[in-house]
Amino acid sequence: MERISRRQFLSCSAAALLAPCVFQVFCPFGRTSARAGEPVDITGKIFKGAAPRELWKFSREGFLYTKLEGNKVVCRICPNGCVLSEGDRSVCRSKVNMGGTLYSLTYGNPCSVNIDPIEKKPLFHFMPKTQAFSIAAAGCNLRCMNCQNWEISQVTPEEVRTYELFPPDVVKAAKKYQAASIAYTYSEPTSFFEYMIDTARLAKDQGLYNLWISNGYINRKPLLELCGVLDAANVNLKSFDDDIYRRLNGGRLEPVLSTFRIMHGEGVHFEITNLVVPGYTDDKEMVKRMCSWILENLGQDHPLHFLRFFPRYKLDRLPPTPVATLEEFRRTAIREGIRYVYLGNVPEHEGNNTYCHNCGKLLVERKGYYIPTYHIEESRCTFCKSEIPGTWAAHSAGDRETKPSRG
Amino acid sequence: MKSPSEKAILRVVVVTGISSIVTQLYTLREFLTLFAGNEYVIALIIFNWLVLGGLGTMAARFPSRATPVALGFLTSVLAALPTVQLLAVRYLHDMVFVHGSSPGFYPTYLFILFTTMPYALLVGFVLPYSLFTLRGEMPHYPGTRIYIVDNVGDVTGGALFSFALVYLLTPMKALFVVNLMLLVAACLLLSPLLRTRLSIVVCAAVVMAINMAGVVLENNSLCSAEGELVHYEETMFGRLVVQKSDGQYTLFEDGVPVFSTDNTILAEEAVHYPLSQVENPNDVLIISSVAGMMGELEKYSLEKVDYIQLDPAVSAVEFRFGLLRTIKGLQVINGDGRSYVRDTASRYDAIIINLPEPETFQVNRFFTNEFFSLAQARLRPQGILSFSVSGFDNYLAEPHRQKISSLYNTVRDRFSHVTMLPGEKVYFLCSNSPVSDDIPELLGQKGIETAYIHSYFYGNINKGRIDYLAGSIDASTPRNTDMSPFMMRIMYAQWFAKYSTSPYWFTVIICGIALFYFSRITREEFVLFTTGATTMGAEILVIFIFQILYGYIYLKVGLIVTVFLAGLLPGALLGQKIRNKSRKFLLLTDAGLIVCMALVIMVLHYGGQSVPQALFYSVALCISVLCGFQFPIALALRGGDNPAAIRTFSADLTGAASGVFIMSAFMIPYAGILWATLGLIVLKCTSIMVVGMSHGKDQQASISVL
Repeated sequence: MERISRRQFLSCSAAALLAPCVFQVFCPFGRTSARAGEPVDITGKIFKGAAPRELWKFSREGFLYTKLEGNKVVCRICPNGCVLSEGDRSVCRSKVNMGGTLYSLTYGNPCSVNIDPIEKKPLFHFMPKTQAFSIAAAGCNLRCMNCQNWEISQVTPEEVRTYELFPPDVVKAAKKYQAASIAYTYSEPTSFFEYMIDTARLAKDQGLYNLWISNGYINRKPLLELCGVLDAANVNLKSFDDDIYRRLNGGRLEPVLSTFRIMHGEGVHFEITNLVVPGYTDDKEMVKRMCSWILENLGQDHPLHFLRFFPRYKLDRLPPTPVATLEEFRRTAIREGIRYVYLGNVPEHEGNNTYCHNCGKLLVERKGYYIPTYHIEESRCTFCKSEIPGTWAAHSAGDRETKPSRG
Repeated sequence: MKSPSEKAILRVVVVTGISSIVTQLYTLREFLTLFAGNEYVIALIIFNWLVLGGLGTMAARFPSRATPVALGFLTSVLAALPTVQLLAVRYLHDMVFVHGSSPGFYPTYLFILFTTMPYALLVGFVLPYSLFTLRGEMPHYPGTRIYIVDNVGDVTGGALFSFALVYLLTPMKALFVVNLMLLVAACLLLSPLLRTRLSIVVCAAVVMAINMAGVVLENNSLCSAEGELVHYEETMFGRLVVQKSDGQYTLFEDGVPVFSTDNTILAEEAVHYPLSQVENPNDVLIISSVAGMMGELEKYSLEKVDYIQLDPAVSAVEFRFGLLRTIKGLQVINGDGRSYVRDTASRYDAIIINLPEPETFQVNRFFTNEFFSLAQARLRPQGILSFSVSGFDNYLAEPHRQKISSLYNTVRDRFSHVTMLPGEKVYFLCSNSPVSDDIPELLGQKGIETAYIHSYFYGNINKGRIDYLAGSIDASTPRNTDMSPFMMRIMYAQWFAKYSTSPYWFTVIICGIALFYFSRITREEFVLFTTGATTMGAEILVIFIFQILYGYIYLKVGLIVTVFLAGLLPGALLGQKIRNKSRKFLLLTDAGLIVCMALVIMVLHYGGQSVPQALFYSVALCISVLCGFQFPIALALRGGDNPAAIRTFSADLTGAASGVFIMSAFMIPYAGILWATLGLIVLKCTSIMVVGMSHGKDQQASISVL
């Protein structure tokens, strides 16, 4: 048997020792990005043949759709543009094609009804310290992996326990509980558009405000219709990257930007929420681009909220957003020129307060839902008289909120 | 006397056994850091492994000739695959799934299946192939001897992992050590057989390079894009990682972020909801913790704070990175919380439980009737017990509603006052004195300031939400007990609901495959199948019951696992010695297994904690001895030839796979411990019937079961 030579032995040993080093240098699996090689798009799909056998009492014909050949319909409420054959159910799960007509299954059957402080939406520049009668029906046109309301957004209306509250009942209930506004919120109100618009019209007639808390994924025409009855909105700008929108939320960026432009053009008060997700939207350059776009298209007066992310739903293996990151983003946004920038999910932080963009004085101090300090009079700073954008309650300077109580 | 080739081959079999058990255990731990760590996933991982091993065994029939050279090179490949597998699992996970997300049932199953397939198939293949290689030189080489030698390897590997590797080495380093042993065994097998040793050297060099690459890349493979890895440790309980990002430290246990600095909300809720209820609290017991808790506890001028943490490595890390800090009266006790509550003579004003969701049998023990009874006995008359489960924002979904209802019904049996607060989590405040839901008011009376509660409580936890939660309780929902863990059933329902999926098709396909399999196997193989199922099922039962009675003591649980493996060896030796191997021995051993299961039931019913721990080890030993005893008998009755060997090895593995899955995923959660044990008895009875119904001579060709 042939013996191995010294050269052969040394060559092989050297190869064995060098291999891992070379491997590491050219390793294609380095952790340079959280996003390398991930799935591209989690956009929802139509549910084929998933319509109920018959309509129930919570059905209404769709607000905006087009009939096609072969008894098909295409929903025109949101950019998903679901093309439904007979018996199909939409991506948002709340619309079905029955006999060539599009129906909503979420009319008068909210699954969640609460009275919330308006600051919870969050809406900081609209009627502070008032209560919002908040309703939601099941369904959503996106598929956000960190949805905090997935139990109602990612299910069909038939799968949840509901109340029976048709539009007049909603308005009556809101008045009974002395709420100043009705908030269409929690899941995605665009998916129960018909219910929302009819309720909102009645509410407006009765002197109640209408609040839209949404992902902003809606088409122009229904949005314009909504703007006619809307008083304030908080719209999520989940990221400033179309790729992340598709990967984390199952949507697209441009329609949401379009929503902001339209609302701004219609003069609706809105505030922007951005959830800072570690590894995805915690990119300072992206925040700068976002701020530049906001300033260029919407101006400097729309409040921007940076929210702290906590692991939730399917996105439960990321750490919470560091508070320092949020603070940095707030400073960046203010430096870029946005006048009102807030932090959410961070108790007892100055980022919860409103400061005058002109003189820098504290105007509204927020300790959670408790407002001990309020220096806005007739929508102006009580110190330098600068106009503070928003709709402000009629509080006089020095008026204090008492300590919170159960009430 | 053994020939050099036989020695070398047996050496390969032993070391393969060591390597396969160590690889299996590290792979299991790896998957638990990437996927949901519930019993369903654990059972799925083991099920996959054993089934693939069984398939690999079946594939050994295909090569027309088995040679030592081929065996040697296959073994070399086996020495490289574990490292490749582990690296593939870590790197591919983020390529296949959205980073930071937990996938659902089917994606989890498919990922586990495809990443473990190469190694599991090959390791299953190598065992019978080793036998056929030996029979190439010695045609009548007994199959049982390979089984026995493999067992030696398995037991050694299990013991090595449980009592040494997990303490001393990280996964890649541990795999490097065992794979080096396997590589040496392969080289020693090949060395006398080849004309030139160059190919051996090259092969060995490649395998070494791969294993070293694993060690070199280990930390890199754990790094995350959103933070700096500042601490990494493999403890006997799992993986601990601390990430630092922008001044925030986050502790991950098995891939799940459990603690972060700057999270006052959870700390305030965990402490103030219960302590505000007590007039002058002095002594508090905390089982597990949340970051920032100590600072909140300090506001109460407590005399004694006993903090129980199962894993000493976790408590060390918590204090090291400022997630917790030392306060007056604090005593950190590392051990099983339930055992402590049972054994301590101390009495407390409050017992605060901060454990994760009851998704495993281990954690479920803290959410049962029996535990609440223990806790109540350790409380002072005005004392309070507090525990929590995951919260909900605006709607209480059905599985969650059942979970909360079950817990409420269970704890209400022990405490006359139970109030639930729907905060970030749902908090249960349980006492025999009235419990108020107006926490800010209580804190105001005590003069205690908080950052979150005072400002947000009335907005987030208003009367409407509290009433909604209380009104959602279903009084008919079963209670959660040690012997009937209803929480586990709900946990599965919640998990499937989260992903809008169902195991229906998986179950249908598996049942279909099982029926097809039963239609093809012989009576003897059916016996081995049911014995494999019974043995693995019994192992899960024994570990589960042991934990309930004595607590989770890692070394003792590891010992039970080792005993279950170790008993196979003397059993197989005994079985091999029987001259006239007849079906009556199968019937007798089946009866023995039934007696063992009946003994388990009697222990449950009459014994409780008064039963000495040695009894559990004895039962474990008996079961595995009987299992090992059956193998040579069944093999001989099947004819003992190569196809018979393949089929008997395979039946044993697939039976074990079925036992694990059915027991963990179905029997215990849905039927409870008692009925699960009875189920194993029924299974063994069917085996007796099948064997007992056969006619004719023992050595006639066996016919299929169905």
